[in-house]
Amino acid sequence: MSFFDLEGTLKPLTALKQFGKKPHTIPFANLKHEAADRYRGFHYNDLDECIGCGNCSTICQNEAIDMINLEGVEGTKGDSGLRPRVDNGRCCWCALCVEVCPTGSLSLTKDYLYVSEDPDSFLWTPGKDNPNGNEHISFHSTKEVSLNVYDRVPMRELEGSERVKSFAEVVLGYNEAEARAEASRCLSCGICTEVCPDHMHIPEYINAIAAGNDADSLRIIYDNNPLPEMCGKVCTRRCEDVCAIAHRGDPIAIRWLKRYATETAVSSEITHEIVNPEIREPNGKTVGIVGAGPSGLTAAYYLALRGYDVTIYEANAKAGGATMYGIPKYRLPIESLDKQIEYIQSIGVKIKFNTKVGKDISFKEIYDKFDAVFMGVGFPKAWSLGIDGEDAKGSMKAVDYLYMINSGERVEIGDKVVVVGGGNVAIDAARVSRRFGADVTILYRRRVQDMPADWEEIEGAEDEGVKIIPQGIPVAIHKDDNGRVKSIEYLKAKMVPDDKGGRPRPVAIEGSNTILEATSVMAAIGQMGDYSFLEEEFLERIKIERGRFVVNEQQQTGDPKVFAGGDAVNRTADAISAIADGFRACKAIDKMLSVKKEKKD
Amino acid sequence: MREKATTLYIGPQHPGITGNMMVKVQIEGDTIVKARTEVGYLHRAFEKLQERRNWLQSFTLLCRFCVPEPDPVEESYARAVELLEGREVPERAKYIRVLVLELARMASYMLWYGGQNGSLGLYTMGQWSVGDRNYILDLFEELTGGRIYHMYIWPGGVRRDLPEGFESKVLKTMDYLEKRLKDYDDLMFSNTIFQKRTQGVGVIPKEKAVEWGVVGPVLRGSGIHSDIRIDDPYEVYDKLDFIVPTEEGGDIWSRALVRRQEIRQSIRIIRQVIDKMPSGEYYNRIPNPHKWALPKGDAYARTEATRGEVGMYIVSDGSTHPRRTHFRGAAYAHGITLLEDLLVGENVADISAIMNSLGTCPPEIER
Amino acid sequence: MKELKDNIINRIKANFKDATEKNDYNYNRLDFIVNKETIPSILFYLKDEMGFIHLSHISCVDWLEEGELEVVFIVWSPKDKIKVFVKTRIDRNNPVLDNIDMIWRQANTYERELKEMFGVQFTGLVAPEEFILEDWQGPPPFRRDFDTAEYAEKTFWHRPGREDAKNVRETISNRDGEEIPDFAKKYER
Repeated sequence: MSFFDLEGTLKPLTALKQFGKKPHTIPFANLKHEAADRYRGFHYNDLDECIGCGNCSTICQNEAIDMINLEGVEGTKGDSGLRPRVDNGRCCWCALCVEVCPTGSLSLTKDYLYVSEDPDSFLWTPGKDNPNGNEHISFHSTKEVSLNVYDRVPMRELEGSERVKSFAEVVLGYNEAEARAEASRCLSCGICTEVCPDHMHIPEYINAIAAGNDADSLRIIYDNNPLPEMCGKVCTRRCEDVCAIAHRGDPIAIRWLKRYATETAVSSEITHEIVNPEIREPNGKTVGIVGAGPSGLTAAYYLALRGYDVTIYEANAKAGGATMYGIPKYRLPIESLDKQIEYIQSIGVKIKFNTKVGKDISFKEIYDKFDAVFMGVGFPKAWSLGIDGEDAKGSMKAVDYLYMINSGERVEIGDKVVVVGGGNVAIDAARVSRRFGADVTILYRRRVQDMPADWEEIEGAEDEGVKIIPQGIPVAIHKDDNGRVKSIEYLKAKMVPDDKGGRPRPVAIEGSNTILEATSVMAAIGQMGDYSFLEEEFLERIKIERGRFVVNEQQQTGDPKVFAGGDAVNRTADAISAIADGFRACKAIDKMLSVKKEKKD
Repeated sequence: MREKATTLYIGPQHPGITGNMMVKVQIEGDTIVKARTEVGYLHRAFEKLQERRNWLQSFTLLCRFCVPEPDPVEESYARAVELLEGREVPERAKYIRVLVLELARMASYMLWYGGQNGSLGLYTMGQWSVGDRNYILDLFEELTGGRIYHMYIWPGGVRRDLPEGFESKVLKTMDYLEKRLKDYDDLMFSNTIFQKRTQGVGVIPKEKAVEWGVVGPVLRGSGIHSDIRIDDPYEVYDKLDFIVPTEEGGDIWSRALVRRQEIRQSIRIIRQVIDKMPSGEYYNRIPNPHKWALPKGDAYARTEATRGEVGMYIVSDGSTHPRRTHFRGAAYAHGITLLEDLLVGENVADISAIMNSLGTCPPEIER
Repeated sequence: MKELKDNIINRIKANFKDATEKNDYNYNRLDFIVNKETIPSILFYLKDEMGFIHLSHISCVDWLEEGELEVVFIVWSPKDKIKVFVKTRIDRNNPVLDNIDMIWRQANTYERELKEMFGVQFTGLVAPEEFILEDWQGPPPFRRDFDTAEYAEKTFWHRPGREDAKNVRETISNRDGEEIPDFAKKYER
C-alpha cells in the first residue's frame, strides 16, 4: 500500500469522540458496588442452627475450616458443641461447604471487604465475627440444591392386609445394593453415638458397609452389643432422631443397616467365625447372673470374653427375657433370637433354664457362691386396671397374653378384643390378636399423638385394621352369665391443658358412659418388678425406690458385690438401655474383681 | 566489524509477556538468532494435588489452571467425568454451559484486545476493552457468584439455575458490545500502524502448522479450517448455527482478523442459545460426594477455548480419588517449541506481539 | 463409525503384530495397546498413512502396585473425526522409550515434562535439563510414592493460630465415654 494511508490514519481518530462520553466506572470509595444476589463473600454461620457435624471441615479441599470450641456453645445431645472457623488465608470461596451443610446453617454473604492492621488476622469465625451477617446472606443452599442425599432408600414391607394372615416377619430387609446405597448417605459425624445408650460405633460400621466390608462391620457392631440382630429389628433408634441428615430430610436407616450387617452371618457358627472374639484365659473368678434378658446376656458375654466363669439363672424355658416373651414374632422371629443366644453360649456362657431364683435356688446361695452377682430381672408383672369385673374370664394382662403366645400356647380370646393402653405392649397385643382373626380395638386415655408407642407400630396397627379409640377411660367390665367378659364400659375424656405447661391431662366427662362389646379385655397400662426372691438381709443394703433398684453410675447397688441393670433399674425401658447397663456393669465388675485380685497378691 | 550476539533476558516480569515466563533471546543487532523459553514460575502442582482430593473437591482447583478463561477447563473436566461414568446431562444444562462458555470466550477476547494492542503501543484499546469486559463479569457475578473464578460447571450439569431476568440482561449486554465492536474496528483494524506492524510478522506456513502442534485461532489464521465445536461437537453446538472464520496468511494480522470475526460469531451463538433455551432440570445429582467413586477406566475430553484445544485426561482406578488427571493446555505447544522456532529471524520489538497473537498463557503451560 | 473403526483395526493389526485393540466405547474413540518398541513405527504409520496428523496429548500414569508406568499417546484425525489412544507399559525401575519429536515437533515439550515429572528417559531427546521445576534434587515428583503432604510438612512451617482445632468424633466419644476399638479406626471419615 502507499506510504501515506489516509483512511488508516484518519479512522482511528474517531476515538476522540469518547472525550464527550460519561465514564462508566464506579468512583470507589464514595460509591460501592453492591454485590449480586449470589455473590460468594465471607462466611456466615447461624450458631444456633449449626450442630457442629464437621461436614464442612471434611469437604473443604484446602483444609481451611477447623472445628473449635466456642464460648457460650455447649455440647449437648444432637450437637457436638464445636463450631467451624475459616482460615481466610486458605479459603478459596468455592462454597462447597455451603452445599454440604446438612442443616443449612452455613452460607456466604455479600461482604467482601475486611481491613485489619494485624497481618496475621486470617482466622474468621462465621457467626461470631459477623453477628449481623444474616442480613447480607447471598449464597446459600436450600434442601433441593444441597449435595447431601436427603431421601432414604425405602424399606420393603409386607402389605397390610397380607401380613395379618400370618406371623411372617413384616419388614423384608435391605438387599446388598440398597444397603450400600443407604450407607453411602452417611456423613460420619458421630452425633448419633452420643444418644445411643450403649454408644455403639455407628459411623464406623456404616462406613464399613458402604465400603463393602460386611465382616468388618459385624465385628465393629459386636464390640459392645451381643444382640445386634435383635436391635436391628426392634430398637427404639434414638440415634436416628438426632441424625444430622434428619434436620432437613430422612435420617440414615441405622437400624436397618445394622440388621443387614447381622443377617449376612446366617448361622451362629458363621457369626463366631466372622467375629472371632478374643477370649482371655480363665482367671478363676466367677460371676452369677439372675435373668437371661438382654442386660444379663450382655454382662455375661463380655465377662466371659474377659476370662470370667459366668452362669446365668433363667426362670423361663428360653433365654431372652422380654425380648423373647414380649416381642411378637412378626417383629422379631424366634429363630433370629435363638441364633444370637446360641452364639453367646458358644463362647462359654452357661445358662441354667427353668431355674427360678427364690424358688429353685435361693439368692443367698448365689451370693455366697459367686464373686459377683448381676441382677437383670426386668418387670415381669403388669399393673391391674383396678376396675370392677377385672376377674372375669377373658380379662387378662397383655404381657401374660404375649408370654403365652410366644411360648406356643393357645389362648381363647374370642372375636372381639379390647386392649387398654397406649404403649408398645398394647400395640403388640393388638396386632397379635389381629393375626388370630379377632376384631381389635385399642382404648387409650389420651389422644393418638400422645401415645408412647413407636409411631411405626401405630401406623402398622392401623394398616392391619386395628381401631383406636382415643380419650377413653375404662370404668367397668361387664360379665355374662358364664362369667366371661361381655363388654367394657368407658367414659369419654376431654383434654385439659396443664397449668404448669406439661402435657394436657384427660378429664372424664360425667355421664358419657359408652359400652363397647368385647370377648376379651387386655390390660397394658404399665409393668412392675417382682423382687420377692431377695431375702430380708439383702434388702437393707440393696435399696428399692419407687419399684426400681437404686444403683450408682457403675450399676452397683448398695451391696458392693451386687450389680443390677435393665428394666428394673433404668427409666427408659428399652432393650438397648438394658444392653448398655449390662456392658457398664461388666466393666465395673471387671475393674472391681481385678483390683481385688491385685490386692490379694 | 562483525557485531557479536548479545543475550537478552525478557521476563519473567515484563508488561509485554502475557503472564510469568522468561524468553531468553540471543540477538545480533535487532534480529533474533536463537530463542529459548523458560517456564516454571507458576507451577502449582495442581495435578498432583488433585490426587489427594475426591472427584468433587478437585473441581475447585480447575478454574485456576488458566486465569483469563477458566470455564473451558471446568467443562473439559466435567465432560471427562461424565464420559467415564456414563452420566447424562439434561438439555437445559447443556444450553447453559454453552452460554457460559461463549460469555467466557468474549471476556477472554476482550482481554486479548488489551494484550495484543498493548504490545504494539496502542494502550487505548486495553482501557476500553477491559472496561467493557466488566459488563460480562457482572453477568457472571449474577449467575455464578464469582467474577473471575466461577466454579459453576461441574460433573452432572451446572451448579445453579439461571436467576430471574438473566436472559434480558444478557441480551442487553450483547447489544451494547456489538455496538462497541465498530469503535474497536475503527481504532484498531483500520489503523495503518497496526496493519504495518502485524502484516508479514510471525508467519506460520500452512504446511507446517499441524505438525508444529498449532491449534485454535492460530491454526485458523494459517488457512486450515479446524474447530472442535464443528469437528467433534460437544454440548449443543451441533444444533446451533455459526461459522468458523479462516484467513490465509498465517501472520499476526490474519490471526487478529480471525479472532475479531469469532467475537461476532459468539454474539450470534449467545442470542440463539437464549432463544432456544429449554426448560427442565439443570443438574443430574451425584451421590454423597465423600463416597462417590467412578468406575475404572480413563477418558479424554476437549473443549475449544479462545486459545485452542483445551483437554483433560483423567484416569480412575475405581476409588473416590482420581488416579491421574492431566491437563493439556492450548498454549502448551504454542508457548515453547513453536515460539522458539518462530522467533528466529524476527525483530526484538515484535516478541511481545507474537506471543500475544499466539495466545501464550503460562499458567496453562505449567499448571 | 463401526466400519471406520473396523477398518482402522484391521489395517493396524495387519501391520503391527503386537497391537491389541479395545473397542468397547460408544463414542469416537479407539484404543491400541502395544509394546514399547513399536511406538515410533506405529505413530509414524498413523500420522503418514492413516491421516492422524494431530497429536492431542502425551500422558503418563503411575501404576505403583503393578510396578509399571503407562504412557498414553492421543492422536486425532481431522478427516475421519476419530481419536486413537496408543498405550504402552514400561518398567517403573528402568523406564526407557524412544524419542518421537521428529514426528511432531511439539512432542519435545511433552517428553521433557514426562522426563522431569516421572523420570522417563527418552533416548535421543535433545532438550535442556530443567523444565518446570527449578533446582529439584529429589525423586520424580509425580510418581505415586512421592508424598506431597510429607514434603510440605518438612519444608514449610505452619502459620500459628490453628492449634486449637478439634476432631468432632473424638470430642463426642470423649464426652460420652465411648471407646472406639483400633480396628474400627480405619473407617472414620
